[in-house]
This record gives sequence, structure tokens and C-alpha cells, in this order.
Amino acid sequence: MKHSDYYGYALFFLALVILPSFLDSRWQAVATTFIIFTIVALSQDVVLGKSGMFNMGQALFFGLGAYTSAICNTKLGMPLLASVPLAIIIPAFFGIILAGPIIHLRGDYLLVVTIGFNIVFVQALQNNLLGLTGGPNGIFGIDTLQIPGVDSGSQAAVYYICLAALVMVLMMLKNLETSKAGRALHYFREDPLAAESIGINTRAYKIFAFALGAGIAGLAGTLYANQYSAVSPEAFDFVQSVLFFSIVIVGGSSVPGIVLGVFVMFVLPEIFRDFATWRYFIFGFAMIFTMILRPCGIWPATYGKVPAYILKGKQHGKK
Amino acid sequence: MDIFFQQLVNGLTIGAMFALIALGYTMVYGVMKLINFAHGDMVAGAAFVGLTIYTHIMGEAASLLAVIAIFLLTAAVVAFLGILLERAAYRPLRNAPRLSAVVSALGASLIIQNGIMLVWGPQMRIFPELIPQVSWEFGGVIVSLIQFLIMGVSLLLMVALYLFIEKTRMGAAIRAASIDQDAARLMGINVDRIIAVIFIIGASLGAVGGLFIGLYYRGITFNMGWQYGLYAFVAAIMGGIGNIPGAMLGGIILGLFNAFIAGYVSSTWADAFTFILLIVILIVRPTGILGERVAEKV
Repeated sequence: MKHSDYYGYALFFLALVILPSFLDSRWQAVATTFIIFTIVALSQDVVLGKSGMFNMGQALFFGLGAYTSAICNTKLGMPLLASVPLAIIIPAFFGIILAGPIIHLRGDYLLVVTIGFNIVFVQALQNNLLGLTGGPNGIFGIDTLQIPGVDSGSQAAVYYICLAALVMVLMMLKNLETSKAGRALHYFREDPLAAESIGINTRAYKIFAFALGAGIAGLAGTLYANQYSAVSPEAFDFVQSVLFFSIVIVGGSSVPGIVLGVFVMFVLPEIFRDFATWRYFIFGFAMIFTMILRPCGIWPATYGKVPAYILKGKQHGKK
Repeated sequence: MDIFFQQLVNGLTIGAMFALIALGYTMVYGVMKLINFAHGDMVAGAAFVGLTIYTHIMGEAASLLAVIAIFLLTAAVVAFLGILLERAAYRPLRNAPRLSAVVSALGASLIIQNGIMLVWGPQMRIFPELIPQVSWEFGGVIVSLIQFLIMGVSLLLMVALYLFIEKTRMGAAIRAASIDQDAARLMGINVDRIIAVIFIIGASLGAVGGLFIGLYYRGITFNMGWQYGLYAFVAAIMGGIGNIPGAMLGGIILGLFNAFIAGYVSSTWADAFTFILLIVILIVRPTGILGERVAEKV
């Protein structure tokens, strides 16, 4: 990281830490939602941006985490905090068993299959699978996260819990980037064949990326269940997945780009309430213009080399 | 046994519609290697354009001539939109990374879908009863006039398209461009023109599909494009995307499967089973039923 990056992150987190004292509880709730969706978008980036796999079903894992927490809490009477490990492990496990058979599919086919998984998942929720998911209405009355020694009832507390999770996720992703696994992901995104021939088990690492992305999304799911104390199928629809997919590509697969993308997609409509019916209409134009003007995203990731799928058919030797 | 044949007829009807729409996906993918996510919304738009032509221009006349005129006018309008879409959203990105074009397509889809909502409103609109409600019974199986029309017209259009692609010079140029754009260009084929032709054909067939959806299901909504578009897209993938007979086959298989699941298992699970079928097919044949194995480029 460059020095300016350090200052940038320091400023960003400082702003996030002091933010709630300037906001009333409604806007604190908006800020919380912003952080939750940022975590989901980051988890999408692990699979799509960092590993170059076309995954358009990330809302499935987000929803799986949310529903795991909701079911553990309301049906099994577990405290929400105790359900957090499950809400990470179960989506990660599903990431492994779902990715396993399909991971060899070429880009666009993978994209369709992940959309398919997402639709099967939502339909299972709507049909009240095993009598656990509450059908089309979802599950209501989920407790809040009770962290011992902290008064966690207020909206500000909920916000800080989410912020802590975001910091943890970012630190983990930062570590991943420089770890063996992270470099392996980076290489096979650049050139799968070359990666394979230098002895990287691409299949295992692809599944690993899916599992990691799913686990992080699952964590965000718990936070979502905590924030709204309710979960319902349409929040995890594949249209939601499409939004996360677009955010990562429009943002350029970098942390600042993704944060900006989440802000534009989820926070701006809250600020301009009247603009709600026009929002997707305008976002559509914004997406096309951004891609035409900046085909690599608003804020392209610059670590190492530019991702291969971004370079494809384009400039040679240009960073 | 009656329910079997009844669902066979219903399945063939919706399968024909899926196939018509799937052709638009598969042809664009074949040449441009791009999933045109806006295609489904163009199909939805066609139904609304048809509705408006009927109420405002035709003055609600319901003769055979009027029906034909609505189909032709709608196809012309939507074909024009198809060209516009290609010029504005896809051509500037032709040399850009693959995913940029995908996001551009998603953006175009949002524009069309919400444009429909802003023009015609968010509520469901009822499509006029342009085709008289006549039906015949064949040994306990009821087939309506509209079902006959959908199956007949779709078959006709698909045969025409097949002949066009296989027998004409333009068709040969399209095939060449879908194999290798650069080589086709070197052979003196105007690829820009090929792409324009593809968008015109795809959008027109989609327009017919959209009008059929309106005529068959009657209720049309601004966001129905995702639903039908996704189904048609799945049909195209199932058959092997980029492959024209594959899209037709995929559409028919998908329609039949969907109808039988709805008839024998449960209609609330129909989507899930459809996608499970797709996933199983792709696990067994990673490039679709009629798709060719693509060698990895080194």
C-alpha cells in the first residue's frame, strides 16, 4: 500500500467511527445497512474480482447466513451471538458443495448456474422448506446480538458491531492478498493454464474462494438479521445478486470502488427519497456510461497486475 | 393420460415462445459472445408497444388485418430499439473487457424495464383479446386457437430463420462472423452490418414472443422481462448457446419440462426444478445439449 492509501483508510475509518454521533437513529440505520451491504459486496469481490469467476448468486450465501441465524434464534432458541459461527460455516459449506460440481464450467455458464442456485434457494424459502423458513413472509421477531458487557440495544450499538465486522473482514482480505492462497487466486485469475502448470491446484483454490466468499456473505447475513430482526425471501432474490455483481464491476474490484458502488446503489436512494421510482432508470444510464468511459471500473484495483479478464482483448503492457 | 397430453400441448406452446425469445440471446451470443440481458426487457417492452398500438393507433379494431398490422408494427419498433441498444450500449464496448459489456447489458435492462414502468405505470395491464377464444377438443385434450397460432407461427418463423442462416449469403456471413469475427472481417464481411442484422432479427423475434406472451397470459407487467428473459436464456444455454437449432430445442424442452412439473409435481416449485434441470445438463454436458466442445486457447 502507498502512504496515501494509509491516510485514506485512516480517514475513512475515522469518519465511520464518529459518524453515528452526527446522525439520528433512522440515518444510523441507513449507515448500518450501508456497512452490511459493503461486506456482501466485498465477499462478492473475493469470487468475482479477486478470482475472476463469474458468480451471480452471491445473495444466496447472504440469505443462507441470515436464515441460519434467524432459524437458530427463533426455532432453536439460540442467542444470536451463538449462531454467528454457524452462519459463517453453513454458507461456506454450501459454497463448497455447490461450487464443487460446477467449478469447471466456462465463465458465462458458471454465471447462469449461480443465478440458478439463487433462484432455487429463493423458491425453497418461499415454499417453506422443511417448515423452517416461514414461507413468503419469512421469519420475524429475531433477537438482537447480545454481546456480554455491552449495551447492544441501541441502533448505534448495532452500527458499531457491523463496523467491527467490516474492519475484521477488511483485515482478513488484506492478509489474503499477501498470503499463499491469495497469490494463487491472483495467478489463476491472470492465467488459469499457466497457474495449473506451475503446480497450483486451481480447482481446490476456486472452491476455496467460493467458500470464503460464502462465509463472509453469511456473516453479513447475520448482521442483516440483527439489523432488521426479520428475514424474508425477496431480500435475497437474484436481482439483489445482480446488484452486487454490478457494484464490483462498476467499482473496479477495489475497496474504494466497492464502497462507492454500495453508497450509490443503497444510500443515495435513501437520501433522495423522491427519486426512488427513477433510481434504477438513472442507474441504468450510469452503469452504461461508467463502463463506456471507464471500462475497468471507477476505481480499478491496482495491486499486482491488472486482472486478466479486465485486460482481455485490450491494451498490452499497460498497467 | 389426458393430463399428459394436455400438458404436452401447453408445454409445446410455452416452449415455442421460449424458443422464439431464446433465438435473440443465442444469435447475439454467437457473434458477440455477450449475454444480452436487455433482451428479456425488450420482449416485455414489445407487449406494451403492441398494447399501445392497439388502443391508440388502431382504435381498438380487432380484425385479422389489425392483428397482423400490430405484429408487424411492433416488430419494426422493437427492431429499431434493438439497433439503438446495440449502438448506444454495446458498440462502444466491443473491445472492452467482457464483464464491462455484461454490466452495460444489465444497465440497459434496468433502463428498459424502468422506462416501461415510467411510461405505462407499475400496475399490471390487461392485454386485449385480439384472438377469438375458440378451442377444439381432441379426445379430451383442449387446444385453443391461440395455442395453435403460437405453435404454428413460431414453427414458421424458426424454419424461415433456419433457411435464412443456412441458405443465404447473409446467413453464411453470420455463421462466419460467429466462428471468428476477425477472420470474417478479413474475408470482406462487414461485421458491423452482421451485428445490426442480428439485433434486428433477434429483436423482431423477441417482439413476436412478447406479443404472444400478452395474448396467451393476458396480464403484462413492466418487470416480466426478467422472468421470461431468464427462461429463454436458460433455453439458449441448455441447447448450447450460440447454436440456433440448440435454442429451439432448448426452448421446447424447457417448456415441456416446465408444464409437466406444473402438472404432475407442483407449480410453486416449477422454477426450482427448471434450474435444477439446467444445472444437471450443464454438469453432464458443460456446453449445452448441442453445444460444441470449445478447446481451451493456449
